[in-house]
Amino acid sequence: MAKYIEKISNALKIVKHNGGIVGTYLGLYRRDDFKWGTFVGEDKYGNKYYKNDYFFMGKSRWVEYPLSVGHDYDASQIPSEWHRWLQYIADEPPTQLPLPHRPWMADHTENFSGTSREYVPYSTTRPKVEAWVPPKK
Amino acid sequence: MLSAVCKSLVSSTARQLRAFHRPAAACSDKLFVHRDEPNNNSETPFEFSAENIKRSEVIIANYPKGHEAAACIPLLDLAQRQNDGWLPISAMHRVAEMLKMPRMRVYEVATFYTMFNREPVGKYFVQICTTTPCMLGGVGSDVILEAIKENLGIGVGHTTDDNMFTLAEVECLGACVNAPMVQINDDYYEDLTVDDMHRILNDIKAGKKPKAGPQSGQNFRFASEPKTGLTSLTEPPTGPGFGVRADL
Amino acid sequence: MLRLWPLRQISRLQNAISLTQQACNKSSVPAPSPELVEVFVDDKQVFVEPGTTVLQACAAAGVEIPRFCYHDRLSIAGNCRMCLVEVERSAKPVASCAMPVMKGMKVKTDSPVTRKAREGVMEFLLVNHPLDCPICDQGGECDLQDQSMAFGSDRSRFTDNAFTGKRAVEDKNIGPLIKTIMTRCIHCTRCIRFASEIAGVEDLGTSGRGTEMQVGTYVEKMFKSEMSGNVIDLCPVGALTSKPYAFTARPWENRRIESVDVMDAVGSNIVVCMRSNEVMRILPRLNEDINEEWISDKTRFAYDGLKRQRLTTPFVRSGTGELVPADWESAFVKIAERVNATDGDLIAGVAGGQVDAEALIALKDMLNRLGSESVCTEEKFPMTNSGIDFRSNYIMNTTISGIEESDLILLVGTNPRLEAPLVNARIRKTWINSDLCVTVLGAPVDLSYDYQYLGDSFELLTDILNDKHPLAKGLKEASKPMIILGSAVLQGENSGAILDTVKSLSEKLRAGSEQEDWKVFNVLHTQANQVGALDLGYAPGVDAMKGSKPSVLFLLGADAGTVKREDLYENALVVYIGHHGDYGAQIADVVLPAAAYTEKDAVYVNTEGRAQIGRQAVSPPGMARQDWKIIRALSEMLGVTLPYDKLSDVRARLGEVSPTFNHAGQVEDAGFFNLSDSATVPRKESRPAVQPLSPALLSLRDFYMTDPISRASLTMAKCVQAVDDAEKNPYSKPEQS
Repeated sequence: MAKYIEKISNALKIVKHNGGIVGTYLGLYRRDDFKWGTFVGEDKYGNKYYKNDYFFMGKSRWVEYPLSVGHDYDASQIPSEWHRWLQYIADEPPTQLPLPHRPWMADHTENFSGTSREYVPYSTTRPKVEAWVPPKK
Repeated sequence: MLSAVCKSLVSSTARQLRAFHRPAAACSDKLFVHRDEPNNNSETPFEFSAENIKRSEVIIANYPKGHEAAACIPLLDLAQRQNDGWLPISAMHRVAEMLKMPRMRVYEVATFYTMFNREPVGKYFVQICTTTPCMLGGVGSDVILEAIKENLGIGVGHTTDDNMFTLAEVECLGACVNAPMVQINDDYYEDLTVDDMHRILNDIKAGKKPKAGPQSGQNFRFASEPKTGLTSLTEPPTGPGFGVRADL
Repeated sequence: MLRLWPLRQISRLQNAISLTQQACNKSSVPAPSPELVEVFVDDKQVFVEPGTTVLQACAAAGVEIPRFCYHDRLSIAGNCRMCLVEVERSAKPVASCAMPVMKGMKVKTDSPVTRKAREGVMEFLLVNHPLDCPICDQGGECDLQDQSMAFGSDRSRFTDNAFTGKRAVEDKNIGPLIKTIMTRCIHCTRCIRFASEIAGVEDLGTSGRGTEMQVGTYVEKMFKSEMSGNVIDLCPVGALTSKPYAFTARPWENRRIESVDVMDAVGSNIVVCMRSNEVMRILPRLNEDINEEWISDKTRFAYDGLKRQRLTTPFVRSGTGELVPADWESAFVKIAERVNATDGDLIAGVAGGQVDAEALIALKDMLNRLGSESVCTEEKFPMTNSGIDFRSNYIMNTTISGIEESDLILLVGTNPRLEAPLVNARIRKTWINSDLCVTVLGAPVDLSYDYQYLGDSFELLTDILNDKHPLAKGLKEASKPMIILGSAVLQGENSGAILDTVKSLSEKLRAGSEQEDWKVFNVLHTQANQVGALDLGYAPGVDAMKGSKPSVLFLLGADAGTVKREDLYENALVVYIGHHGDYGAQIADVVLPAAAYTEKDAVYVNTEGRAQIGRQAVSPPGMARQDWKIIRALSEMLGVTLPYDKLSDVRARLGEVSPTFNHAGQVEDAGFFNLSDSATVPRKESRPAVQPLSPALLSLRDFYMTDPISRASLTMAKCVQAVDDAEKNPYSKPEQS
């Protein structure tokens, strides 16, 4: 019996976490999962981080991407200091233990592969054959 | 005296020693490529004098037809004598033209023989022999060389400011029995002492012509006879027909 | 070596003797074969001619003696001492390259004495040679490297490891082709001997003596020769290397493809060195009948022209009159639209001189199928009398190696030194080794050997024909006279008269000659495949084509600028098929990119009428394709599909048209001399030739840029610049000879 009560209670927590039944349903599109947890922090890109030790390790920390990115979210949008916590490299989230900022550290960018801003390598060697350019009139 | 000779021997030998399995150090102070100089370029005027033209014709006629190139060395020498003891490149070109040789072949000859001077030299070209017999004979060429340097105030390979003297250190000039010796232009001065050297150079400076040949080192001997007098050929030379069979 | 420089005066004397006497100077009956000399090489018995050197006797016995200064084609110097061998009952090891064999000589090529001698020589060479193999371009093909591995000691006694005074020599600047690092020089004097014996330029020599000896020019000047590049191959060390090739590749990285040159009509055999689809350099390939082991500088160094100004994509002229890049299909559609709407008579084709036989036959077949008979070459050839009907009228009948048998050569309107440097080298070789007498009708140019200059007027030629000139007698009395007619003088007006006169003269000499199979008449072409085009039935010269005012014109590698827009029908469509953006591409409406000679398997016929196969070394750049494939594809588009799909099919078709193509590498004998003579219409009083018999190329400056490839080459442009600079150098002025 207690088992069913727990299920119902979890379901209520999920609904509450997602802000209602509609929110839960829509969240399913983005996360493919029903989860509830405590809010740990938010980075400057709007990614929200949650944790819930009720779930097994590996599922117990997660990120919810901001709605602004729509469905174009991917793991490279997570800055490295949060990646550290999210992947269980460290226990403390950057909200508790901010990493020291060095002057040489570049700002985080996501991976632009497959987008119009992707990096295309170019050759620095001279072409072996120099083509003829017709004279302009 | 002995110690001085030993010292100079050791020092000069040490200077010339080198290990076999080392490359030869550059021995010449001459360039073996031509560089245009204001006084030595293809435009430098050079033309044989009328007299030398005649001479060159005689020289060329010494060799068979088709082998005129054999006259290359005498003609270069002629050119060098006419041109104050040195050969400008235009003179080599002139010789090439006269002998119908490619210019490069004349360059080859002129650079091979060290007695062709391809740079200007002073009016008196002093060549001191420092090869072993001269280094050892008499007072030794080292002190003579020092005396010349002191008298002229120049080093080996240099020319005095008034363009009168050029000093060169050369290999054997073939007067070993009368060592030490110097050659000034065409004259050999042999059996030298330091005083002789100074006297000769001062005479030349004063415009006099010192007597060539053996000097005071061996008491102004006639040629290369021994100091103690002749040991052979002492009697007067016999006339023609000496020792010939009477019936001839 | 009678006429080498020191003894040249003698030959000049001989030349001073009147012409008739010269020509009387017939070679005497060959001496009876002397008895052979028995020599033992490592106890192996060999029989050699008396006078052969020990080194050659060893070679006959199959033993190779190491050498640096000795070279087959140069005089013997004997100064490197590497070829020392022990000879029994000889006090010292002997230099085998300079030692003639003696009866019963016992040579030991692998005895302790020999080995020790070699080791010693090698040690002395290396003590004055820099240890810079890692940065030396010769590395990997260096005789000194190889021989020190094979014959040198494995220990070093060299003590000057601090490099306090290793011999160092100033580098020389001898032009844009040859890089000199004179410290590496081992004084073998091969370059000097090449320059004075083969090239006939007395620019190089030694200066100084002993350890100060230098090989160079003494004064700063350019090594001004049209075959200077060969000293790079001759140099056994890295003292003379190729400037354009410097630091680009190592020999073991290159793949070597044996091919044929197209820079002149000699068809020199070459090796194309390729690395990663790029031509790295071009080397000569031994062919005793053509180029021996030399090639001209243009052949060797123009390859960088293959990488510049290339057509890599089709172009179609847009509405605004500009050539815009297009794809193959749209280019073909544009041609097809116009061709299908045009009458066959109004279609014509013009081929340039470097086009391969496959492309020529493909274009001709295609145009014939379209109903056009108007295919011609840019280069002219007179069509008077038998014209090109007989092959013997337009090829070099005696062949290049035949020059060596000749005793009198008359050059008419040609400067072989620049038009065909290797033909000239062969004449010089013959001139040096025999009593060959050369006479010239044309321009008094420097040919690197003495010759009798007759003048440049056409009347002289008729005088010779009519026995009014002293040379007529000389020619008649010569046992094997040769007349070499340059194709350059056939480009002008009334050139038919020149050809007819030379032809009649040659026929007269041939008929009157005692030598049954000696052919007197020779044409020296300047275009690589002109003979091939004529063999395939192309009409020489574009005049007839211009008369028909074609409306569609195919230019197949035609860049000489003989066809202008004004010559064509108004709004004519000009299609250019070729590899360089040169004259032809600029006037074209459709440009189809094709392959250059290193990019296709192709047949070229040289001036001797010798078909030779060039092999593909690299692939054509970009969208370019091989010429005959382009034409084959186009023919399908035009609805006249050509019946060959493979190279072998094209070759078979070539063989059908002319038997020349069936025997690559051989000269197809052009007979029918009697017939071609009888076909010659008896001459009326011939019109005087308008222009003097002067060749087109007069000075070395003209030599470097003659075709689209060499015109695109930076190296060749630098050569022209260097020759211009040399004009201002007082030391480069030509000497009186």
